[in-house]
Amino acid sequence: MSTLLMPKIDQSVLNDREKIVRDLKRFTNPVNIVSDPEGIIPYETDALSAYKQKPMVVVLPENTTEVSNILKYCHENNIKIVPRGSGTGLSGGALPLADGVLLGLSKFNKILEIDFENRCVVTQPGVTNLSLTKAVEHNGFYYAPDPSSQIACSIGGNIAENSGGVHSLKYGTTTNNVLGVEIVLMDGTVMKFGGKKLESEGYDLLGLITGSEGLLGVLTEVTVKILKKPQSVKALLLGFQSVEDSGQCVSDIISGGIIPAGMEIMDKPLIKATDDYAKAGYPKDVEAILIVELDGTESEVNILIKRVEEIAKKNKSTYLRISKNDEERLRFWLGRKAAFPAIGDMSPDYLCMDGTIPRKKLAEVLKEITKLSQKHGLKVANCFHAGDGNLHPLIMFDSNIKSELKKAEKFGADILKYCVKVGGVLTGEHGVGIEKRDLMCEMFNDEDIQQQLNIKQAFDEKSLLNPGKVYPILHRCAEGGKMHVHKGDTKFKDIPRF
Amino acid sequence: MSEIYSPSSEHEVADFIKNCNSQEIPIEITGHNSKPIGRLIQCSKSLNLKNLSGIIEYFPEELYIKVKSGTPLDLIEKELDKKNQELSFEPSDMGFLYNGKSNKGSVGGAVACNLSGSRRFRAGALRDHILGFRGINGKGEIVKSGGTVVKNVTGYDVSKLITGAYGTLVALTEIVLKVQPKNEESQTLLVNNINLKKALNIFSKSMQTSVEISGACFYPAKMSKFFKLNDLDTTTSITAIRLEGPKISVVERVNTLKKLFDEYKKTISVLENYQSRIFWQNTTDLQFFNNSTNVVVKIILPPVNTDQFINKFENEELKYVVDWAGNLIWAEIPENDSVLLRQLRMEVIKLGGHMTIIKAPNHVRIKEDFLTIVDENIKVLSLKIKESFDPKKILNPGKMYSGI
Repeated sequence: MSTLLMPKIDQSVLNDREKIVRDLKRFTNPVNIVSDPEGIIPYETDALSAYKQKPMVVVLPENTTEVSNILKYCHENNIKIVPRGSGTGLSGGALPLADGVLLGLSKFNKILEIDFENRCVVTQPGVTNLSLTKAVEHNGFYYAPDPSSQIACSIGGNIAENSGGVHSLKYGTTTNNVLGVEIVLMDGTVMKFGGKKLESEGYDLLGLITGSEGLLGVLTEVTVKILKKPQSVKALLLGFQSVEDSGQCVSDIISGGIIPAGMEIMDKPLIKATDDYAKAGYPKDVEAILIVELDGTESEVNILIKRVEEIAKKNKSTYLRISKNDEERLRFWLGRKAAFPAIGDMSPDYLCMDGTIPRKKLAEVLKEITKLSQKHGLKVANCFHAGDGNLHPLIMFDSNIKSELKKAEKFGADILKYCVKVGGVLTGEHGVGIEKRDLMCEMFNDEDIQQQLNIKQAFDEKSLLNPGKVYPILHRCAEGGKMHVHKGDTKFKDIPRF
Repeated sequence: MSEIYSPSSEHEVADFIKNCNSQEIPIEITGHNSKPIGRLIQCSKSLNLKNLSGIIEYFPEELYIKVKSGTPLDLIEKELDKKNQELSFEPSDMGFLYNGKSNKGSVGGAVACNLSGSRRFRAGALRDHILGFRGINGKGEIVKSGGTVVKNVTGYDVSKLITGAYGTLVALTEIVLKVQPKNEESQTLLVNNINLKKALNIFSKSMQTSVEISGACFYPAKMSKFFKLNDLDTTTSITAIRLEGPKISVVERVNTLKKLFDEYKKTISVLENYQSRIFWQNTTDLQFFNNSTNVVVKIILPPVNTDQFINKFENEELKYVVDWAGNLIWAEIPENDSVLLRQLRMEVIKLGGHMTIIKAPNHVRIKEDFLTIVDENIKVLSLKIKESFDPKKILNPGKMYSGI
């Protein structure tokens, strides 16, 4: 476990712990309060398991009124709150505080209304992403954003992180698919932003709280839009002799006026790792593979497949396969989706990074990563949501060897700094949390950060809601920790990660 | 008349605002003056951003364009067109509504008002297409957020907050917008002479199929006379559905819908590519209210409530067009009928929507609420947000409502 600077512990709150626990029992059924040392262990970390901290107490409220009363009480008594959905976040956004209440939303687990006429679903925030699609697929509808942890991650958490997925180039991220929320502010005020209508007036508060990592309010109800499933989906599996060629192919597909549903690149180390692990049948004599998924009507998809095929040939692809059916298409994805566990199988530990870069910089960034790999003496494999420029380098190391975690974290920070240098950003979909908090000044100067802190103040004047996350505590840049996986032992190892 | 300052650099904008802030001088921010929208405000100084003009960078394969805020929208669209790309939220040309002739205004003005065209329900609003910005807050500080990439969760999404803020948070200096490839073909399926209820039912049914419609509007009889299209019958009501994409796919989807709506086969027709594009451009540009001297409002409702709303006012002097597959009503009412205006707003609130006054004579802009925000808590929070950018409230003060 790594050490991390967190907000100063309020000793007076800790001294009052027993009274606070007693008081909280007034606001919800006492069985919803977890305060025994054994009971709070499951809440001590999220999926960034390198960092652990037991909360002062865990509260699992059941309705909006309870959330409002708890927050109001904590506001009045200067007690910090950390909200938590399913705890699948990769950047430590739900890491508890020693002197804070961990507010779990797991009991908000009901879908409230399915409204096909208005093409939306109203749900409680603890419902999982995949359950939303499951609830509407009998009518051919689905919820578009599909983060890899969709089997377990909650829709409330998706809004907090503005989660993406492999189809966000065409269908957008969470922010483009949420219509409304009910939110409780730190002082207990309950508000609704948006609703079943397409847009709202005044400041775009819905847009602001999406991706705010639980720093501005606690969600208690969510309205999302649902889409009709496309008639036909097909994929191409392409192989190239250089990463440059695969990257150029992606640029040419987009310049050619095609917006595929998904585009994914894997480099040679990852191809080998995933193929050994998942037996996906990828070509072994290539430096990079590119998966291109196209959807639409049958004839549209067929035309687009042909166009992509021509573009791939122009870019010297040496391997090309088109999925004949859904089974084969899913097999193309099999290796890609096994990327994280495959690396976990190869290396005792790995860190997963999450920078976004301009697509045209892919080859340059991958070269730099190779150089950094030599410099730090650690192996790395790369996968890339090529459509939207989101890069996930997987840094391999062994935490049993002293100083390797630190070395890996330094390597990771160097990669993210390079992403920013070429015009990219620190995080595409995992969030800043505690992980990249201290790298924020790579992208923002003091005035930018101060402006964002001022916005936080407008919602939470005492800074009691999820403090210590997203923004550097001391306004200084240092290397943060990364998603650290030891012996393949991720926090939720059954959840696919890609 | 207020004193107008037209800087040509971000640095000058910052200095100007810093100065005004220290003396607490309110500033009205303007661009190309194409859209006199919002509450009528009077400031002793006016900051005109039209000289902050020009494309900073445009990378078609990266799907973004970075521009200075005073850049004419026209110029941006022409540049994108050369690479067969566009802004897929279809920015409206409000010049027709305000002055009877084209004036798309500046990109900063478009962002400040968050106005989107007929494709909005499919492609998202302007706010879904802004990737980043630079601007000057009320203290004269340069603030920025976002970047040039689509997938970005680094810090709060401040770009969305400043979109549709009517210049009350920052004076924009730079804007990054997402761009998209143009659709190869556009065709419009028309059904003549059916009522709104049936039209809404057609929209709903179409959206329950996989045909992916990208336009769905309804013109009552008499509202479509302004169109000058050979293949458009303007003698009765028009229900229109747009299909876009590769030609073969568009033709296929038009046929699918024709079969689905076989019961209307006697009044179904199709507008081919050229006329289809003009039809939707005219609709997006509100040409049905060309140079209106009345009050024009934008009403947003959950689509299932749209018919009920219109029925309630069928005996009134209400001209309207429905767009966004039933989510949006553009309505025009006589300029002196404040009773009707308030009745509309009350009904909109009752049905879970809101109403914005888009164009009105000055006496109405002074007297009536521009927006419909009923939750006092939201007003309080909005004021705090305003103060977090502009503590002395000098940027477009009162443009949205008193205090904001």
